[in-house]
Amino acid sequence: MNAQAVSKPVPVSDAYRVAAGLFDEMFDAERKPRPGCVRVVEDLLGRDRQRLAELRARADGMFLRMGVTFNVYGLDEGSEKIFPFDPIPRVIDAATWAQLEAGLVQRVRALNAFIADVYGAGEALKDGIVPRDLVLGCSQYRRAGVGVRPPHGIFVTVAGIDLVRGADGRFYVLEDNVRTPSGVSYVIQNRVVTTRLMPELVRASGVRSVEGYPGDLLESLCELAPRGQSRPQVALLTPGLHNSAFFEHVFLSHQMGIELVEGHDLVCVDHKLFMKTVHGLKQIDVLYRRIDDDFLDPVVFRPDSVLGVAGLMAAVRAGNVAIANGVGTGIADDKAIFAYTPAIVRYYLGEEPLLPIVETHVLTDPDVRRMVLRDLDRFVIKPTGASGGYGVIIGPKATYRELIEARERIEREPSGFIAQPVVQLSVHPTLLGDAANGAGPLGPRHVDLRPFVLLGKRPRVLSGGLTRVALREGSLVVNSSQGGGSKDTWVLER
Amino acid sequence: MLRRIADSLFWAARYIERAEWRARLVSVNHHLLIEGPAPAGNAWSSLLAISGDRELFEQHYARLDESSVLNFFVLDERNPSSIRSCIHAARANARSLRHRISSELWLELNTLHLDARTWSPARMESGDVFEFFSSLQERFYRVAGVINGTLPRGLGFDFLVLGQVLERAENVTRLLDIKYHYLLPRVEDVGGPLDLLQWASVLRSASALEAYRLTYGNMIRTDHVVELLLFDGTFPRSARFCVDCLEAALRRIAQSAPDPAATPVPLASDALAGLLASRSAGDVIASGLHDFLLGVQEECQRISSAVFDQYLRFE
Repeated sequence: MNAQAVSKPVPVSDAYRVAAGLFDEMFDAERKPRPGCVRVVEDLLGRDRQRLAELRARADGMFLRMGVTFNVYGLDEGSEKIFPFDPIPRVIDAATWAQLEAGLVQRVRALNAFIADVYGAGEALKDGIVPRDLVLGCSQYRRAGVGVRPPHGIFVTVAGIDLVRGADGRFYVLEDNVRTPSGVSYVIQNRVVTTRLMPELVRASGVRSVEGYPGDLLESLCELAPRGQSRPQVALLTPGLHNSAFFEHVFLSHQMGIELVEGHDLVCVDHKLFMKTVHGLKQIDVLYRRIDDDFLDPVVFRPDSVLGVAGLMAAVRAGNVAIANGVGTGIADDKAIFAYTPAIVRYYLGEEPLLPIVETHVLTDPDVRRMVLRDLDRFVIKPTGASGGYGVIIGPKATYRELIEARERIEREPSGFIAQPVVQLSVHPTLLGDAANGAGPLGPRHVDLRPFVLLGKRPRVLSGGLTRVALREGSLVVNSSQGGGSKDTWVLER
Repeated sequence: MLRRIADSLFWAARYIERAEWRARLVSVNHHLLIEGPAPAGNAWSSLLAISGDRELFEQHYARLDESSVLNFFVLDERNPSSIRSCIHAARANARSLRHRISSELWLELNTLHLDARTWSPARMESGDVFEFFSSLQERFYRVAGVINGTLPRGLGFDFLVLGQVLERAENVTRLLDIKYHYLLPRVEDVGGPLDLLQWASVLRSASALEAYRLTYGNMIRTDHVVELLLFDGTFPRSARFCVDCLEAALRRIAQSAPDPAATPVPLASDALAGLLASRSAGDVIASGLHDFLLGVQEECQRISSAVFDQYLRFE
């Protein structure tokens, strides 16, 4: 090859521009790389866009082969759907992460204490920290959970806390997920892929490992063993292969080396839970369930459910099996309760919250309601019962008609909604274009972050979490169903 | 191991074996048409007799000819034993097993299933039928290779083996039975060219022609064919070989119980093993091959339902 044929790459970052008023995860206001980002900017963004597009194409191929093929081959229509992956990692420096980690642990411990209290003595309700009616009337409140005391008082074994970064560069909690949070398998798979795509960069950057998660999860689950067995029988309960998170259920059970069971594999006898094996019934000590409360036990919850097993709650109450997460934990991630979470942290831990929450207005207060209704188009309105973005109205983007309807519904049932200001999510350099249309330029796209916290005898936080990216320009919606993708998240050793 | 998982493994293996067997049967008979002296209808008619599907076929087809037979055996999903139905069933079982089988096996079965969906009657008619079956056969060998090369020899593998060998033993005995008793109605034809051709195709259907020649030479004799397909412990498609595998798998499964001594002795396969160990081709032909084959089939079915009761039954 002669020297002239090698043209100097045109750094993909040259044409990258960010609108004023947005926080960029990778560059500061002077367009200098932020702490920890220098290597990635030089090494990855110094390349031309074709080379980045090649990385992306190789990543897509790996996802297909590695078994995210579930979506591709699993569906009868064989629809080619992989979670879009952006090859440019999101970097979090060690100092920032240390603060986040402390805030996350604090938050999940407080939420866990709140749940234990609600289903136990109810002190916070007596003391008026959270209105009693709000808790008892919450759609996620489960009477069947009253009086259940899990080992070590752990109700929330796994939590996924959705964080967003505002224009001020601070992280805010947008939402808690303490029922059956999903997405961790993507975190681990993303890392497998980036390690193969850019091994030198990963090593040189000193990225903290995420592969210990399944082992940590298993340890946390084992700690729930009702009689303190050192090697309890643990199983993961899945709704089955039609569930959208089935791939994750397969992945985690495989990684942990535990049985993946469906409702009809289980039976309760004498207030004990068993699975049906070829050599008869085998007792299960800890059940990591990935189905909602409502489907767990047709005796106690929805009688038409075939996903769970009759008698499970009785076995739980008898102390013969532990389930993770516990029943009724949804009261702690309900949107109506969310506004009270800073008070919950102060009440149970006697500490100031380290992580602020996105400002949240409870509409049962007439003055607050009037204030919100006056400027409805400046707020995000969320129904309190729902999750997964269902029924959310984003004021600035809503039609006149939608706003009128929202106003009527709020006035009819103020407790059914909360209002939050529109948060300008931080942006991250993202490679545009796609496999079909070729390599695009680099553009700023909104991102969020879902770290995962495990609560056991000691709390453990997975280093990083799932960074979701809204691939459509200007979109604030990062959900995969709405054109969202993901990035690998790098927490640096130092 | 969960009963649901063991059951899926058992049936996945059974359906793979059935699909492969059907493919070989159809292809051999198709071949017979091309070089055989018999009128075409006769070969198709034997095929329906061997597979036991005459009634089902007549329900759906007015004419017995090449295109209807190929359609019925290969593509027709109204026929639960068509090659396509069997592949779909095998894959459906494998789908709930994804975490228990190798990803290679899943990919192999899944691509086979996706391909089978694209098969069309036009391809059977216009295309090279021989080429179709030979490439299909390669796919089955690949599945077998992946099973052998990637699955740990544990409890799960033993349930796969059970499904495979029970299906295989039933198929081989059925093949012999039909050939011996139904295909050549006129006694004076015995030993004639058609008879020999039919025996050769029986051997080919079991991939046994070459093994036969190695052991018995070029001359095809009924008792030798019976000897090879029923009693030869070294030939992988003989009934005896299947029963040996079956016994070994059943023993390993029983021993894997938490307390093997306390587990009721399962599934005596002794009767079947006894049948096949103590007899020779000459004996059973003299005393009635049909009854003997029927006995073997009944034992297979008895073992099948005993396996179900002991290990797979859900409620």
